Amino acid sequence: MSTDPWIWIGAFLTLMIFSFLYKDNPFYKFAEHLFVGVANGYYIAFYWHNALRPNLFEPLSAGNIIYAIPLLLGLMYFARFIPKVSWLVRIPIGFMIGWGAGLSIPAYFQAFVLKQLEGTIVIPQTFVNTTEGIWALVILIGVVCTLVYFYFSKEHKGILKPTARIGIIFIMIGFGASFGYTVMARVSLLIGRIQFLLGPWLGLIE
Amino acid sequence: MKWYEVIDKIDRRVIYLLLTLFVIIPFFIPFTMRQNIMPQTKQLFDFIESIHPNDKAVVLSLDYTPQTMPECHPMAIALLKHCFARNIPVVGLSFDVQAPGLAVDAFATVADTINSMATSQEDSVIYGRDYVYLGWKSGFVAAMLDMGKSIAGVFPRDYFRNSVDSFPLMQKINTYKNIAIVVILSASDYPEYWILYPQSRYGVKIGAGLTAVMAPKYYPFLQTGQLSGMMSGMKGAAEYEHLVLNSGYAKRLGKAVTGMNSQSMIHILIIIFIILGNIGYFFSRKRKGEK
Repeated sequence: MSTDPWIWIGAFLTLMIFSFLYKDNPFYKFAEHLFVGVANGYYIAFYWHNALRPNLFEPLSAGNIIYAIPLLLGLMYFARFIPKVSWLVRIPIGFMIGWGAGLSIPAYFQAFVLKQLEGTIVIPQTFVNTTEGIWALVILIGVVCTLVYFYFSKEHKGILKPTARIGIIFIMIGFGASFGYTVMARVSLLIGRIQFLLGPWLGLIE
Repeated sequence: MKWYEVIDKIDRRVIYLLLTLFVIIPFFIPFTMRQNIMPQTKQLFDFIESIHPNDKAVVLSLDYTPQTMPECHPMAIALLKHCFARNIPVVGLSFDVQAPGLAVDAFATVADTINSMATSQEDSVIYGRDYVYLGWKSGFVAAMLDMGKSIAGVFPRDYFRNSVDSFPLMQKINTYKNIAIVVILSASDYPEYWILYPQSRYGVKIGAGLTAVMAPKYYPFLQTGQLSGMMSGMKGAAEYEHLVLNSGYAKRLGKAVTGMNSQSMIHILIIIFIILGNIGYFFSRKRKGEK
């Protein structure tokens, strides 16, 4: 069994959180509030030491006046709290939207639209390897049928009806895979905590 | 009460208790379940295998959080073992606020293990020569893009506040041109941004180690070749541990493989509960219909 007080604190807090599985109780509430407080404290201290101080205040105090511009833009966000000058907040927001849109629109088109479209196109060379060719066809059918399912400008009648039905099968398979992976992820978190309790705390496993 | 009403109304606390027991039992009754290696894990392993020793570096972007440690930490350990065993330089960095402490722990764990068995300087893993950890940087999109111009420009000092230029490793690693692959171990969407910006602009090769929740979203990127390999959740980590062990780069399996035994047991239990729940629901509904 561990002699490290931090391990004991970690173990007790883990058990306090798990106690919620039985029913809501003051121990759970205490651990939950402590977590929120500690997390906030960590974030504030971390950003101060690793972002604000080295990237803004140290260069400013060294005489780099240019850093006053980001400082001013940042302070403008707080104008929201003063009704008379609350319009000032539009300046940094506009700056961020302009920068973000300019940066991301071409990148999104290139990486997510064109590349993904390219991956869906079936050409004769795709069938050089038969298995890969079959999977490429499955992907093509899946993409087309799913897009048809989300096409609401025309009623799903005639050829659109079976195509949309196939589309929903693909969507359901996608949801199933996501759910399966989610279960696996959540169980992994439980395993991690049990490994901690049995290992570093109780010393029952390596 | 009818039998199907009993299974339809099992107390959730009984289910939690059984889940806990099914997680604990495999730790005390050791057994190894066969792991099928998924192609995307093998793809990432093969990519690392194809990198020439002491040539281009692997950038390891460690962006996972304490709550996702069981999935991503074993990935980091297995990847580092693989790179160090093959003399591939590793440059670590983080964009997630919660990651630096875990990253330092991963590097220290692997370096200490290797150095405890090393007989000479050549066998050892030395900070600054074989690996560096650059630490955390704010404004990750701008940082990712600027690394294409100068890595030292974005990270002038490492996590321990040493000047990056003072490291022999960083003398030969200046931009993405000196990077073979960037592997992102993440619990959030950082791989998406790596694909979106540095890959689109500089053609950087990207690999990922993701929590299982995120994995389905990233399969399309594998198909298009935008991802050069991927580890999905604890299973992906266990597969990589097997690959590293089978290739002789490690002497023992890691924590993910042990966890996967519990994982498999839990899956069996959940499948049983889903079947039982559906049987209970089906018979209850049939009964109500008869009434």
